[in-house]
Amino acid sequence: MKRLTFVALFITTSAFGQIQPEPGGVIETLPESWPAHWIIVQDGAFFHMNNGKYIVVDADSDNAAKRVKGSFDGSFISQFYQAKTRPEMYVSETFYSRGTRGVRTDVVTIYDKSTLAPTGEIVIPEKRASQMPMNYHIQLVDEEKFGLIYNFTPATSVSVLDMVGKAFLTEVPTPGCSLVYPMAGRAFASICTDGSMLSVQLDEEGKQASSARTDVFFDANGDALIEKAAMVDGVAYFPTFLGRMFPVDLNGETISVGDPWSLLGDGDEGWRPGGLSVTGTNAEGQIYMLMHPDGYEGSHKDPGAEVWIFDPESQRRVNRISLNLPAISIGLTHDDEPLMLATNINLEVDVYDATSGEYLRTLSGIGAETPFMLHGAN
Amino acid sequence: MKFFDSWLDKSTESTIRGIAQHTSRRGFLGKLAGVVVGGAATLPLLPVARSQDSATPVPLEEGDTAGCDYWRYCAIDGFLCDCCGGSMNSCPPGTEMSPITWIGTCENPVDGKNYIISYNDCCGKSSCGNCLCMRNEGDRPVYNPRASNDLNWCLGTSSAAYHCSTAIVIGAALDE
Repeated sequence: MKRLTFVALFITTSAFGQIQPEPGGVIETLPESWPAHWIIVQDGAFFHMNNGKYIVVDADSDNAAKRVKGSFDGSFISQFYQAKTRPEMYVSETFYSRGTRGVRTDVVTIYDKSTLAPTGEIVIPEKRASQMPMNYHIQLVDEEKFGLIYNFTPATSVSVLDMVGKAFLTEVPTPGCSLVYPMAGRAFASICTDGSMLSVQLDEEGKQASSARTDVFFDANGDALIEKAAMVDGVAYFPTFLGRMFPVDLNGETISVGDPWSLLGDGDEGWRPGGLSVTGTNAEGQIYMLMHPDGYEGSHKDPGAEVWIFDPESQRRVNRISLNLPAISIGLTHDDEPLMLATNINLEVDVYDATSGEYLRTLSGIGAETPFMLHGAN
Repeated sequence: MKFFDSWLDKSTESTIRGIAQHTSRRGFLGKLAGVVVGGAATLPLLPVARSQDSATPVPLEEGDTAGCDYWRYCAIDGFLCDCCGGSMNSCPPGTEMSPITWIGTCENPVDGKNYIISYNDCCGKSSCGNCLCMRNEGDRPVYNPRASNDLNWCLGTSSAAYHCSTAIVIGAALDE
């Protein structure tokens, strides 16, 4: 035993003297502008909600080990927004001083795209809605100068943030109305329980300058709007449970609700939109809808077997993609040769050519447990 | 992995659809009106506080209370407290029951009657992780909170950490 030890030490010492030691303390960084097919996988960590995460993945890569580029965290079913005008990402999240108990603190954490490190935070009222992830919990408006966070206590309101000065400004009550949809200028819209929508114009300090309500245009208890709208050129396209589509124009000072059109054509009876994240858009402005057959009351979160692609101008379906495996969420990259991403029923991320519908690969082994949402990088 | 099983069940079709087909949500608002108690003056159309003195007799029921297809769970979305140290109508030790909640209207197959179910969450600990069950009969989006199971209903509790969900009968649904 002693002899073996001696030999091992000799080899080690000898080798140490002959090679250049590697530098320690190296931390990788990412480019400020990411390749078009890098994606952000939002893992809500449903089984341990206070340590969710966002995983940056190269969706073009078949190299399972190297396609993960890094990650950042999100606590207690966090919500996510990628800035378009600066290399920042925002995570609205909740912390308790003793893990799941103690003093609650809600923040918007600011992440730098190159380092994936937090560069700051904005402390917000401890009211942010704790709900399943979707795009309309946190939004930025007015050329991304103002941030908006949806609150639910169960009283509803919106926290308004200064995203340049990185500060909380004020809280705007939105009684009976939920979520934040970006409007042109310094304004937002919310959906109301009575089947109408609310628009709120803000002043320079983020306070409510004016507000307006649309007429009641849908039945929140019947063929309800699915709140996960597809946004194209400032128009929010809301599918309904039974397969209608309401275009809601948010480009004016107030909301303009257009006539609904049907997602279903001849022979499509029984198909309905459904899933967790059911809409997506490509750079052309086409709308991708996750659809399932044989719909019934309560099927609106069932996995989809197909993705249908619509041209909102002609209000016609232009393609349909039969999925390799049924999916609960879809997302798209934002480039001219987009990928479609789908969280399948194995809770893995499938990648498709979004134009041809060809299945390309499955991104398994990326460290995600419950990848609720899939974001193309800006 | 229960979560996966849950999604897979839904994609391959199962008993859930059968249950859905004979459980009606018709007259939901009318039925609700008969059981809303407390808070109505300040929070109209928002979820209910549980009725403590309902005169409704306890329904006769049968089945596996740890099974997702149990009749009371027709609009639940979360971990069944029955598998977490609690029961279908009680919280596990050391947790705190949310005083406000979302509700569903479920048909009891034993007597064929509809009952109003209050899905009070149990809070203050990390996710139970057992018996994930997602059924969405009568579920509506988050802008319709009293009927939405996408919300974490750990509200009004000392911690908003979600652990599991109960399914408490708070009354018989009124006939239309």
